[in-house]
Amino acid sequence: MNLPDASLLETRGLTVTYGGLNANDSIDIAVAHGKLTGLIGPNGAGKTTFIDAITGFTAPSSGTILFDGVEINTLPPDVRAHRGLSRTFQSLELFEDLTVRDNLLVAAEHPRWYSFLVDIVRPNRKDAGLEEQVAWALDVIGLRAIADKLPSDLSHGQRKLVGVSRALAARPKLLLLDEPAAGLDTAESQVLGSHLRDFLSRDISVFLIDHDMGLVLNVCDYIYVLDFGRIIAEGTPAEVRANPKVISAYLGDSAGEEQAREGSAIGQLDHGSKETA
Amino acid sequence: MKDPIFFLLVGLGSGSLFAMLGSSMVVAHKGSGVINLAHPAMAQFVVYDFIAMRTKGYLKLPWFDFLPTNKTGLNFPVTIKLSDTKVAFIPALLISLVMAALLGLMVHFLVFRPLRSAPPLGKVIGSIGVLTFLGGVMQLNFSKLNNPNPRPIVPEGIVHNFLGLGKDYTRSNLWLLLIAVLVGLGLWALYRFTRFGIATRAAAGNEKGAVLLGFSPEFLAATNWVIASVVAGFAAIIVGPFGGPVSPVQLTGQLGFFLAAMLIGRLNSIVGATVGGIGLGMIKALSSSWLIAQTWFPQWLRNGVQEALPLVAIAVVLFVTGRKLPIRGTVEEKRLPLAPYPRRIWQHTVIWSLVVIVLAYHGRHIFGGNLPFALSTALITAILMLSYVVVTGYVGQISLAQLTLAGASAFFMARMMANGSITDVNPFKVSGPGLPWVPAMVFGVLMAIAVGLILAIPALRIRGVQLAVVTIAAAVTIEKLYFENDKLTGLRAGAPGFITSPTLFGLKLGSSGSGGLTNNPSFILFCLFWLVACCWLVANLRRSGTGRRFLSVRANERAAAAAGVNVPRTKLLAFGISAGLAGVAGSLIGFQQQNVSSANFIFGLGFPVIAFAYLAGITSINGALVGSLLAPVSIAAAFGSYNFPGARITDYLPVFGGMGLVLTAISNPGGIAPFTQPLMRHAGAWLVKARGAEWTSFVRRYGPWIVGGFIGGYLVWPLRVSTYSKFWMPLVGVILTLLLIRPIILQIYWKATGKPIPPPAGSPPAGVAAHGGAQ
Repeated sequence: MNLPDASLLETRGLTVTYGGLNANDSIDIAVAHGKLTGLIGPNGAGKTTFIDAITGFTAPSSGTILFDGVEINTLPPDVRAHRGLSRTFQSLELFEDLTVRDNLLVAAEHPRWYSFLVDIVRPNRKDAGLEEQVAWALDVIGLRAIADKLPSDLSHGQRKLVGVSRALAARPKLLLLDEPAAGLDTAESQVLGSHLRDFLSRDISVFLIDHDMGLVLNVCDYIYVLDFGRIIAEGTPAEVRANPKVISAYLGDSAGEEQAREGSAIGQLDHGSKETA
Repeated sequence: MKDPIFFLLVGLGSGSLFAMLGSSMVVAHKGSGVINLAHPAMAQFVVYDFIAMRTKGYLKLPWFDFLPTNKTGLNFPVTIKLSDTKVAFIPALLISLVMAALLGLMVHFLVFRPLRSAPPLGKVIGSIGVLTFLGGVMQLNFSKLNNPNPRPIVPEGIVHNFLGLGKDYTRSNLWLLLIAVLVGLGLWALYRFTRFGIATRAAAGNEKGAVLLGFSPEFLAATNWVIASVVAGFAAIIVGPFGGPVSPVQLTGQLGFFLAAMLIGRLNSIVGATVGGIGLGMIKALSSSWLIAQTWFPQWLRNGVQEALPLVAIAVVLFVTGRKLPIRGTVEEKRLPLAPYPRRIWQHTVIWSLVVIVLAYHGRHIFGGNLPFALSTALITAILMLSYVVVTGYVGQISLAQLTLAGASAFFMARMMANGSITDVNPFKVSGPGLPWVPAMVFGVLMAIAVGLILAIPALRIRGVQLAVVTIAAAVTIEKLYFENDKLTGLRAGAPGFITSPTLFGLKLGSSGSGGLTNNPSFILFCLFWLVACCWLVANLRRSGTGRRFLSVRANERAAAAAGVNVPRTKLLAFGISAGLAGVAGSLIGFQQQNVSSANFIFGLGFPVIAFAYLAGITSINGALVGSLLAPVSIAAAFGSYNFPGARITDYLPVFGGMGLVLTAISNPGGIAPFTQPLMRHAGAWLVKARGAEWTSFVRRYGPWIVGGFIGGYLVWPLRVSTYSKFWMPLVGVILTLLLIRPIILQIYWKATGKPIPPPAGSPPAGVAAHGGAQ
């Protein structure tokens, strides 16, 4: 089963049903090792449902989810996270009582059942590996300066980046980003976009979910297009851009092509997302 | 087969009470989103007024004379005399219902409307305040009625061989059922078909919906409160006589059943609550008479099963229908205040320990002879409140059963100490392993942890106020099934369980003294030791990975799970640790009382504990320490009764305490921690280094208020009591000014001038959170 060239994440016929309606209908995707894979689709296409199903927040009604060659269908979310499947949230879901650094520490730590006993005796023990991991996750997004602030003191964009940084702190094998650019200002999304490919060199594969055509087309290696819960197209950015199905169903005639061309500069990434968000 | 059916039918009477109270609480919830723990107390007040009119011809208003002993003749009107003998049935009923409507309006306008944007726990605290206040008012106003046993209102004839089941049946049960069904149908139709009902349902989802239908949300909420209160009062008057002698806690004691009926209706369905309430009554009657008489039924379960069975069923229903993680889009309501990072732990430990030690040996001069008891109570209460800090403050789970967990520890410890000999406190032989105090206490605490973990199971799937309700149900169940069950406790019902006093290397640490009152300073040091140990434990948890995971679960369960936090295990851990803390407190209560009795651990006694913990700051250790000083029969009360002997402090404690709870909850939605935290911080910094700037800002912020409160107290308080101390009265004025009057005036001032509200004194300026600003 665990073939050397197997995909890192694979879904086979993944279907999620909400009240008789298929939010995700028999989805087959494969996310390759060391690649930046994208999933695009308009609002309501079922993107977040899909990420929820992969990370264990929604139970699929049928289908299989394979991560690193192992079926993870029934694993709870925290176990999936420890296996190396980290995600961010579309909405701001930070731990408001904890500083940025502590937010990252929560994700970085791997507690054992007896950890609390050690904590009671030695609350402030140092773990060099853990601190290095958190320091790296802070630096890679450039959050070192705000590490000791509380989330409530940060701007919306900064909070969004903290969410990405927290997912990175867990040193995941696969990072699932749910609309990371929504709500970022120009400079911030530039930082994010330019760093996405850095993650790959750190042995972290990325699965990017967005409705912002520009970002996805520009940074991804391979793209899936989701509409009404179904995959309607897949391929390299060039193939997807040329696919007539995508243009008519998602981009709408020629407008999409223009948007895609406009989005060639990463600096304009937030443009589309602000309009549609 | 005839008997079970017959006993099920017997339960129709009590079931109709559960149904009507339950659906009236559903109405209150529909209208305002509040689970009103004070609802039975409101109905009880109406019953009292009804009885007072029927027997003595007067009625009392739902407040008390603020100036009972002043000499100016300026008394507050409380009694309305209607007749010299008694009032006829119909007018008495109508006037009672008007009183119920008035109560509903008061509760809405004075309590829950100002609290409408408070966190869910804040609303629960508000209802606990109303409950405490009304309980005190009933004690004060109706003490002359002397446990009246009213005459039934519905026909009471006996039917022989009812339905061929071979037994005599009281007809009143059927009348009550009819009334309950009619009330339920009426309410259902009201909310189903009328414009008013539809608007109420619309407003529950979105206030704009009601506005579109042409109703002001204000009007809807007030009207719903009136309906809820009138229905509850009517039900209590009709059914009340079957519950035996009336007492201020008669209906509140059955709160568990009312809440259970409400939960069966998923908090919003009147039909569900009505059917559920009647069903509960039937199951209760069946299990209390038929079930426990069966030979196969286990002996040890016979006490209390009638109270426990339905509630266990509810917990199961809720657990099955609950969700492991909240679904996407369920927005957290208003949050609890931030949980500060504990700092300068050594300094705090040294300073406060010294204060307690000095008080233990010399405190009688300020606090009177009751001080040792009050001080040890304060220390024990602080430990109990720490258990709330962990489970509610850090992990955000509202548990109202911590006192019950303390009881489990005390009872089990007593059993472990029993050795089959007869002592002067317990004239019955109780067999047991006869352990010394250390292992016995360990077993007691382990028992509390075991029970706490069982209690945590519902918390894995139920959240917020629903969980609070389930913990009340669990507390009632444990109380009836364990504390009042001599088969399980091994302690003869009615006789005190004995507890040996702790000693260490020949040093007597027990609370030796007469009548359970403590006068041994060593016992205070014993309690202090445990409090310090528990504070360190909680502080270390907060400063470590465990604390981070606790707070991550409180902030956002979904995000915590995505970050790799095992949410169910974290909740179990928090419940276990807080149960352990409660267990330590329970064992100490046992040592203090030198016996155990269920009276010390009634679930209602736990309400003030969480209420004061919340107000003093349930998210911090400081909060637990300050809260313990304010709690009933603690330091503040001892201080009051010693220094104002003429003020009848103990009589007026519930009413003032209840008003204080409501007022503080309204004026300081996050508790008074923002005020107390800098105080504690300065005390800690005293010895280390004087912080001039902090002191100056403190004096500038609070100085004028302190002076004003002092003068005000001096001028106002002579009205309150005839014997007063010229020194202490102004001090009370200062405290009241700082805690209540200042925040209220400031809020009005800010609202009137439209000035931005400055951050509370305790909150750190941006960016210094990690450098000693948080606490």
